[in-house]
Amino acid sequence: MPFCLQPTGENYANPRTCFFHVLFKAAALAFYILSAIFIDSFVIIFVVTVFLAALDFWVVKNVSGRILVGLRWWNEIDEQGESVWKFECLDQESLARMNKKDSWLFWWTLYLTAVAWIFLGIFSLIRFQADYLLVVGVCLTLSIANIVGFTKCRKDAKKQIQQFATQTIASRFTSSLQSAFSVV
Amino acid sequence: MSHSDTIPLHPSSQSDIDEIENLINADVHSATVLPARPPSPPRVSIPISHSPSPLPPYQKVHPSASPPPVVPAVPAAAAAPAGSSRIGISSDAFGSPPDTLTEPVWDTVKRDLARIVSNLKLVVFPNPYREDPGRALRDWDLWGPFFFIVFLGLTLSWSASAKKSEVFAVAFAILAAGAIILTLNVLLLGGHIIFFQSLSLLGYCLFPLAIGALICMLEGNVIIKIVVVSITLAWSCWAAYPFMSAAVNPRRKALALYPVFLMYISVAFFIIAID
Repeated sequence: MPFCLQPTGENYANPRTCFFHVLFKAAALAFYILSAIFIDSFVIIFVVTVFLAALDFWVVKNVSGRILVGLRWWNEIDEQGESVWKFECLDQESLARMNKKDSWLFWWTLYLTAVAWIFLGIFSLIRFQADYLLVVGVCLTLSIANIVGFTKCRKDAKKQIQQFATQTIASRFTSSLQSAFSVV
Repeated sequence: MSHSDTIPLHPSSQSDIDEIENLINADVHSATVLPARPPSPPRVSIPISHSPSPLPPYQKVHPSASPPPVVPAVPAAAAAPAGSSRIGISSDAFGSPPDTLTEPVWDTVKRDLARIVSNLKLVVFPNPYREDPGRALRDWDLWGPFFFIVFLGLTLSWSASAKKSEVFAVAFAILAAGAIILTLNVLLLGGHIIFFQSLSLLGYCLFPLAIGALICMLEGNVIIKIVVVSITLAWSCWAAYPFMSAAVNPRRKALALYPVFLMYISVAFFIIAID
C-alpha cells in the first residue's frame, strides 16, 4: 500500500472521468517541464500550456466535479445586476453513495497540481524568467479558482446536510407530536 | 409560477409543487419525470442561467420563467437536475446528465460554443439589447476573450520578423493586465460593474482588432493597414462604449472611457507598427 491515506476496497466508479480529470493537468505540467528541453519558442510553450490548463479547468468544473464529487459552482448575474455565486451539491443520499476513491483522487490531484505550479513558479522566479512566470501565473490562477470554488461548495454541502438533518428531525418531531395529539 | 422563496418550504411540499408544475409543463417541454427524486429546493431558473444536473437518473425541467430568488450567497440545497431537454435555451453551461462520458461532453462543448457566439453577437454587433448593459452580457464567459487575446497575440507574433516571443508575451500581458486594470478603474470611479462581466466585455471588444490584425498580417501595404486598423479600432470603441459609459456616473464617463480607448489605440498602433 503506497499511501496509507488511500482508501481500499472499492474500485473507481468512473474511471474515464478520473482519467480525463488527471489527463489535462498532467499534460499541462509535463508539457511545461519538458518543453524547456525540446522546444525553443516561448510562444508555443505559452499557448499550449495555457490552453491545456484552461481545458483542465473546464473539465474539472463542468465534468469531473459533477461526476466524481457531485458538486458544482458557478456565477450568475441576477435581475438586479448583482453577481451571485451559486454553489450546488447533490442531496445527501447521493452524496453518501459517491465513490470514496473517486473523491480522494479528485481532491488530491487538485491540491497537488496547485502545489506543483507553485514550485515551478518559484523556479522561474529564481531564474528571473518573467515570461515563464506569466505562464505559471495563469495556470496557478486557474487551479486555485477551482480549488476555492469546490471547497466553498463542499462547505456549503456540509452546512446543508446539517440544516437538512435538523429540519428532518424537527419535522419528524412535529409530525409525531401531531399524531400523538390526534390519537388523544 | 413563482416559488415563494421567502417562506422556507418543507422539502416534501416543495417537491409536490415541482410535481404539479412538471405536469403542467409536461407537454411544453416534453420532459420525463422519474418517480424517485430528492427534495428540490427553491431553484434559480433565469432563462439564461446554467441548469444543474449531477446524476443520471434524474430528468427534470425547470419552468423557465420563474424569477430567481434574491440570494446573496445562499447555496441551493439539493440538486434539481434538468438540462438535456433545455437545449433550446441558449446558455446552459452545465449540460445534460452524463450517461456516458462522451455524450454530455459534446453537449456541454456545443452549449459553451453557442454561448460564446451569442455573447460575441451581443457585444460586437448591433442589436436591441445594447443600451441595457446589465442584460446584454449577463451570461459572461471568459473563453471568448481568452481565444481573442491569444489569437491577437499570435497574429502579432507571426507578423513580427524578430523577437516573436517577446511580442507575444507583451501583447498577452498588456491585454490581460489592461482589462483587469480598466475594470478596477471603473470600480474605483464608483461605477457599478461586475468584475468578470467587465473582463469578458473588454475581451470580446477585442474581436474587431483581432480581425484587423489578421488582415494586416496578410496585407503588406501600409496605407491599407492604416485604413483597416482605423475602421476596426472605431468598431472596437463603439462596441465598448455603451457598457462602460452606463456603468459610471455620467460626469465621470470620460474618465472611465478614456483609458479604454487609449488601450485600444495603443493596440492599434502596435498592429500597424509591427513588421
